Amino acid sequence: MKSLKEIASMQRNRVVFIYLISILLGAVIIGQAYFIVTVVDGVFLQDASFQMIWPALIGLIIVFILRAMVTYAHGRTGMKMAAKAKQDFRQSLVKQYVKNPVQASLKGQSGEKVSIMMDSVDEVDSYFSHFYPQKIQSMIVPIMILIAVYSQNVLSGLIMTVTAPFIPFAMAIIGMKTQKKSEEQMEKLAVFSGRFLDTLQGLATLKFFGRAKQQQREIQDSSLNYRDATMDVLKIAFVSSLLLEFISMLGIGLVAIEVGLRLLIYEQLTFFTAFFVLILAPEFYSSLKELGSAFHTGRGSMGAAKKVTAELEDHEQEMEWGSETLTVREEPPTVALDHVSFSYGEDRFTLKNIDATFSPYNQIAIVGRSGAGKTTLLNLLSGLAAPSEGDIKVNGQSLYSYKEKDWFDQLSYISQNPYLFAGTIAENVAIGARGEVSREEVEAACEKAGVAEMVERLEKGYDTPVGEAGRGLSGGEKQRVALARAFLKRPAIILFDEPTVGLDLKTEQILQASIHELAQSATMITVAHRLHTVMEADQILYLEAGELVAKGTHSELIEHVHDYREMVSTQRGGDAG
Amino acid sequence: MKDLSLVIKLMMAEKKDIFYSVLLGVLAGIGAVGLFAASGYLISISALTPPLYILTIMIAVLQLFSISRAVSRYGERYFSHRATFTMLSNLRVHFYNKLEPLAPRIFHKYQSGDLLSRIVGDVESLQNFFLRVFYPPIVMVIVFLSTIVFTAWFSFSVAIVLILGLVLTGFLIPAFFALRRRRLASEMREKRGELSTEVTEFLYGFRDLKIHQQLASQEEALTTSSEKYIQEQEQSGIHTLYSQSLNQMVSFIVTWSIVAIGAYLVTEGSMEGVFLAMLIMISLTVFEDSTPMAAFPSHYEDSRRATSRLLSVVDDPAEAVQAEETKRNLDTEGAFPIEINNVSFAYEREGRNMLEDVSLSLPAGSKTAIVGPSGSGKSTLIQLLLKVYPVQEGDILIDGVPLNDVSEESMWQGANAVLQDNHFFYGTIRDNLQLAGDELTDEDMEAVLEKVKLHSFSVIDSVLEKGENLSGGEKQRLAMARAMLKGAPLWLLDEPTSSLDTLTEQDIYDQLFAQAEDDTVVLVSHRLTGLERMDQIIVMDRGKIIESGTYEELMERRGYFYELKQIEKSVLM
Repeated sequence: MKSLKEIASMQRNRVVFIYLISILLGAVIIGQAYFIVTVVDGVFLQDASFQMIWPALIGLIIVFILRAMVTYAHGRTGMKMAAKAKQDFRQSLVKQYVKNPVQASLKGQSGEKVSIMMDSVDEVDSYFSHFYPQKIQSMIVPIMILIAVYSQNVLSGLIMTVTAPFIPFAMAIIGMKTQKKSEEQMEKLAVFSGRFLDTLQGLATLKFFGRAKQQQREIQDSSLNYRDATMDVLKIAFVSSLLLEFISMLGIGLVAIEVGLRLLIYEQLTFFTAFFVLILAPEFYSSLKELGSAFHTGRGSMGAAKKVTAELEDHEQEMEWGSETLTVREEPPTVALDHVSFSYGEDRFTLKNIDATFSPYNQIAIVGRSGAGKTTLLNLLSGLAAPSEGDIKVNGQSLYSYKEKDWFDQLSYISQNPYLFAGTIAENVAIGARGEVSREEVEAACEKAGVAEMVERLEKGYDTPVGEAGRGLSGGEKQRVALARAFLKRPAIILFDEPTVGLDLKTEQILQASIHELAQSATMITVAHRLHTVMEADQILYLEAGELVAKGTHSELIEHVHDYREMVSTQRGGDAG
Repeated sequence: MKDLSLVIKLMMAEKKDIFYSVLLGVLAGIGAVGLFAASGYLISISALTPPLYILTIMIAVLQLFSISRAVSRYGERYFSHRATFTMLSNLRVHFYNKLEPLAPRIFHKYQSGDLLSRIVGDVESLQNFFLRVFYPPIVMVIVFLSTIVFTAWFSFSVAIVLILGLVLTGFLIPAFFALRRRRLASEMREKRGELSTEVTEFLYGFRDLKIHQQLASQEEALTTSSEKYIQEQEQSGIHTLYSQSLNQMVSFIVTWSIVAIGAYLVTEGSMEGVFLAMLIMISLTVFEDSTPMAAFPSHYEDSRRATSRLLSVVDDPAEAVQAEETKRNLDTEGAFPIEINNVSFAYEREGRNMLEDVSLSLPAGSKTAIVGPSGSGKSTLIQLLLKVYPVQEGDILIDGVPLNDVSEESMWQGANAVLQDNHFFYGTIRDNLQLAGDELTDEDMEAVLEKVKLHSFSVIDSVLEKGENLSGGEKQRLAMARAMLKGAPLWLLDEPTSSLDTLTEQDIYDQLFAQAEDDTVVLVSHRLTGLERMDQIIVMDRGKIIESGTYEELMERRGYFYELKQIEKSVLM
């Protein structure tokens, strides 16, 4: 990732424009001083008539108007630069998040990521809109003023030359400290955001445990912490501007005394020169001082940019997909697990050395107690997470040698808790389709998935908006919406996490028929909770604590695997075998 | 202004800081004007060869003004920012307090990313309210008036021009831009909220977006949203810049007029030339205080919008809740009876009743199971008992008191609830279990983890946001553990073990019934196995109770329950 400075200099035309505008500003400031002094000197000492100073007055008004226009042009260019830079940053972040594997998206609190995307990127603004243009201006304008002063009075010029370097020096010292502090501040803001989002979502739980009031204290602490971090940054900023103020006051004071004394006692200067220098001196220092405050916000921006950059560089175990085409054939591809192991980093959630082959149109049931690793296996098979060891083979080649799109185009994953997006129910179903679909097709898919009756009972039917994470719908209903997506898609491979919940008679029948229909044209891999699913399966994988204990058909397993037999018979009240 | 009254109220709590800010602001402003006036006078008087002591005095005055200006500016900034950020902090907490009674209903209306953007972003933007809207005009007016009084000593007409300048740059131009801005109706805040919502949704829905290959289009949507937001930001920035530049130009023209009038007066002989430089310097300086007023309209409008966005969330009149103080507290020491009489209930925006004329009696210490297909109203009934939704028709009597008159807190205190969606917080297992009581020790927690068959967990194991690193079954068991630790006399369990296998489930139920021997238990169950031990089983379908009785009675009746039992036999685990 490039530094902010490099990003700024990439916008070449705007940079050149800022240079030109700054030169103009320098000229305008000198002109302003010149005209004011001419007028005052004329009427005060030279006994000029009002007519004689008219030209200077006209010059002055032109210069004044120009100055306001220059300020505008300057600010506007900075804003344009900032807008472009912010957009670039956000885009890179989105690109980064898109590439992440599923487990990376679970890492850290989403609130923090939102905060980086929103607040940190916004914070970058001031570097481009303030600091960078001001830096150029403060390089050019003071030098032009200095030249003007030298041309009139060398001694004043010397005083200004000697005092000026203290300003960037003081800034450099303070700036270093500010950056660290402002990083801390962003950190605290992110922590606050994370805590707040987490608390909001768990508010119901907190209330049931009578904890909502206590959480209030934590929010308060967290919020006060953030305030203190902000004040820490600001205090440095204020001290720095106090210091700069003192330096510039000292400079202006020295110049005033110098010209005053030389004018009065030594009579080495004319009033014109003395007043001219006296008007320019504050402009000289204020241009440097403005750099000081811009420098401060610029530092803050750099702190924020560092956070964004860190996030951009944090692409561990990025999922690499290949470029081979996975052609859509008439029959589904053969999928094989070749010594597949997986861990989430901590050893507790692992799959160990799984070997299995799924032929086209096979019906596979994955069976095991909760926590045995069934869902993890489904995640691996879907290509959402890559195995830590071993390989998944599709038609004999590694899954990851294919194009990502080709694979997902042939796949449906009906999890137990699918995410429904903000939008209507119809839109949520249509997301499964590969192209545009008609309302009739959506309705037909919902009918098959056994969710139509529920939808039609709603006031707005298919146009009912679902809230975030489909809060309006129950888990089972959400899953059936996902099933409807699959009906629109007609994939070659279906991963299905069967509902554990008993459904009503009618829905149960619809669901069985639907799944059966989908399975006609696909390889179906089911985390099974239904007896008929395992009985009909061509192959059952029986998992225990992440290990594949047994493989085979229902009757084979009943015969040979004691634990499997026991599991099946408990459910049936001991009357099955 | 109505919207802002809350902010002003919270701000007034920082009276002392406000007073210091204004005082020091005025001192700094007057210091600056004095400094430049003195230097202008100094240089002019020097040209007239005055006695040296005058020069010395002027130089001393110059230094005095410059030091007092720098120091008071520092103080002003310090106090005004401290006041501001304390206020923001209070505002966040205030907002949370207002939000808390509305949960969890509020999530049907607002997405959490949106709420986050309001509480962080909108509150943050309110910092400009005090810093740029509230006190600077006061400072500006005082500094200007003092300057004008001072100037009037030397030239009445210059003072008049200054007054004109004040009115123009301090009031008329800002007012004009404020009006214009209101008409433009900047949508920056709204766009920010949209973007924030989309980012949040993108992160939460990542898995399904990826599978449906929607990441690319979502990426595009995010880019567009970001572009729109940045555009609004830029537009608003340029608008401010424009008004600032215009204001600066007007102040320059005023200074020019002073130069011209002053020069004219000097040539006419009605003013001494020695004061001209001083008056010009004063004019150049004093407008430094009014230029920031150009930003006033944008900050004012921005603050107003931010507050009204904040308040619109919490001030929904439909959400008006009966004052908690007037409600009765339950005696939650022991089990209490519950009577449900002819209750009907419909969710907002749904035409159909979720519960239809439900009547049910739950004697103290009784064990009741509610079964039925999904969508039959089981969970709704539990949520009504937990006061998540108010009773609409019919009544629920808790220990003889209508539920709507029972205080929320005492109801929750009396119930161990395990709902279908149990939230787990980012932290450790201990953090999540500690919710049940501060006095709980690690040993208590470990004992309960043992009971729910989570012996492999230690209290220091970390839990990710929303418990993402836990499986469904682990989450349920952890929720169960949390409820067991709480030990209230009423158990409201909504499919607490649906992701567990039957063996583990039965073990946990054994533990539950041992602990809850004297308690009232309401168990919504997806499974029919093991219901033999319940005192009564309620079978629901489409919001109605269609059967009730003991396990044996229902099996003998060969009705709906019996049929359900037949399906269940085909379900493996």
